[in-house]
Amino acid sequence: MSFIKVLILKFSSLRTQTMASSDKTINTDVPEKDVFAIHFLQSLSNLTTQNPFNSPDTTNYRARKIKKAAYVSMAKAAGGSSRLWSRALLGRAAKENNKIVRFARRKRKVTWKISSKRRSDQRAPEATDRLRNLVPGGGTMETSKLMEETAHYIKCLSMQVKVMQCLVDGLSPK
Amino acid sequence: MGFSCYKYPFLLYPHLTLPLLCFFLTLFLTATCFLNPKKKMKMNGGAIEADLLLNCTDMSVLERQRAHLKYLNPGFDSPLAGFFSGSSVIDGGVIDGFLGTDGLNLPMIYGENTVEGDPRLSISPETMTGTRNFKKRKFDTETKDCDGKKKMMMNRHEEEVEEEEKSKITEQNNGSTKSIKKMKNKAKKEENSCSNDSSKVTKELQKTDYIHVRARRGQATDSHSIAERVRREKISERMKFLQDLVPGCDKITGKAGMLDEIINYVQSLQRQIEFLSMKLAVVNPRPDFDIDDIFAKEVASTPMTVVPSPEMVNSGYSHEMVNSGYSNEMASSGYLHFNPMQQVDTTTSDPLSCFNNGQAPSMWDSHVQNLYGSL
Repeated sequence: MSFIKVLILKFSSLRTQTMASSDKTINTDVPEKDVFAIHFLQSLSNLTTQNPFNSPDTTNYRARKIKKAAYVSMAKAAGGSSRLWSRALLGRAAKENNKIVRFARRKRKVTWKISSKRRSDQRAPEATDRLRNLVPGGGTMETSKLMEETAHYIKCLSMQVKVMQCLVDGLSPK
Repeated sequence: MGFSCYKYPFLLYPHLTLPLLCFFLTLFLTATCFLNPKKKMKMNGGAIEADLLLNCTDMSVLERQRAHLKYLNPGFDSPLAGFFSGSSVIDGGVIDGFLGTDGLNLPMIYGENTVEGDPRLSISPETMTGTRNFKKRKFDTETKDCDGKKKMMMNRHEEEVEEEEKSKITEQNNGSTKSIKKMKNKAKKEENSCSNDSSKVTKELQKTDYIHVRARRGQATDSHSIAERVRREKISERMKFLQDLVPGCDKITGKAGMLDEIINYVQSLQRQIEFLSMKLAVVNPRPDFDIDDIFAKEVASTPMTVVPSPEMVNSGYSHEMVNSGYSNEMASSGYLHFNPMQQVDTTTSDPLSCFNNGQAPSMWDSHVQNLYGSL
């Protein structure tokens, strides 16, 4: 436990420095790892307060929660709504949180799936379309924009993976 | 002072009020025999000359404005293009001056207008050497303008020598006359300024953010295909950028293969996050573990004291430093004692290799080292 505390302290101490450096994200510059780490740890802590882990949840449910927290924190760390993919991700997360919207969306989703199936029957999905499905919010992007967003997304993802790996390594029992 | 360069703007724009004003002034001047009346075939030409003499300094500004106007509404001066068809060397100089002072950066902005401007340049017979031909491609005109200008200047020098020998007055077909001797000095100066300007302007062109596209030989020049080409170039540029980003992507040629590789990489990263979150869910949760509490305490700086390690003591760790904001060295010292622990931990990451697409766990190890080393 002491390890985690120091970890968090460390990240939070670097917060001011990294925030200063993160405002120069021009093309596909990604903020420092510490920004990702801080955001992720904060969202994790939010997770524990919202639904405490000692409640009778399965690990699967918890894993899903953590995954979502990871994506949301990554989107936040990558500059919030400045990027298209992060905006789409945050919007999706906000929608999922709202249960009324979720219910309405489920109905629509069925019809959409059918239509997409029909479309896929007509022609095989190209590589760019597959990429569109992978990158959040990529459905509405222009191809060149999609490439740019993908580059940024890849950078952020790898950064997030690094941070999470560190956390797992630190937390796992010896 | 030569004022030939300023002659034609007035003829071009008789409707402007300012030239009229100048005209009256010049009438007065001619009455006082300021200029040699023999050199004038007509009163009008001399008048304009004189007024130009008077307003030499002011003219540069005026001319710029006029050049701008000229390029803004090309339809206006197009009928006047024929006006210069028989004109002499100085005529070329006029247009030269136009392009040099102001017009040269315009071709880019008003891409179509330059196409109309080119024939005007090429009209004056003396200045035209047979080699020069203007293609009607909009996007090629710019550099050619520069080349053409240089040529024209060269020609002008030669012709000026000839004219000095003659020391005569050349006559235009429209009847206006010029006193060349007076013009020469000014014209030479103008040329120099032109060359300087052109070099400056070409530099400026590179800086501006207008997209300048060149259609090569055999490529389509209509706006749609040009736009399409620009789009494709943009995409390929981004693809190159992505290629640098994705490991093992630089060996693959072809867009489809590259895209496949990128997709695989993104998917693998997403799967990694999924797996790691699963691992975190298994590892992390203990009822006593409360990160929120720690976040609340972080300002109070108490938790740091929980882990007294030899490194921290050695680095002069103290409570006062904590209260004054965590300094960098202190933070790094707090990290040092975790490194051995991580090296032990990386052995536990063996199951990760199934998600890693063959990237060995040593890569993870290096990532860990990077993260902790860089902090």
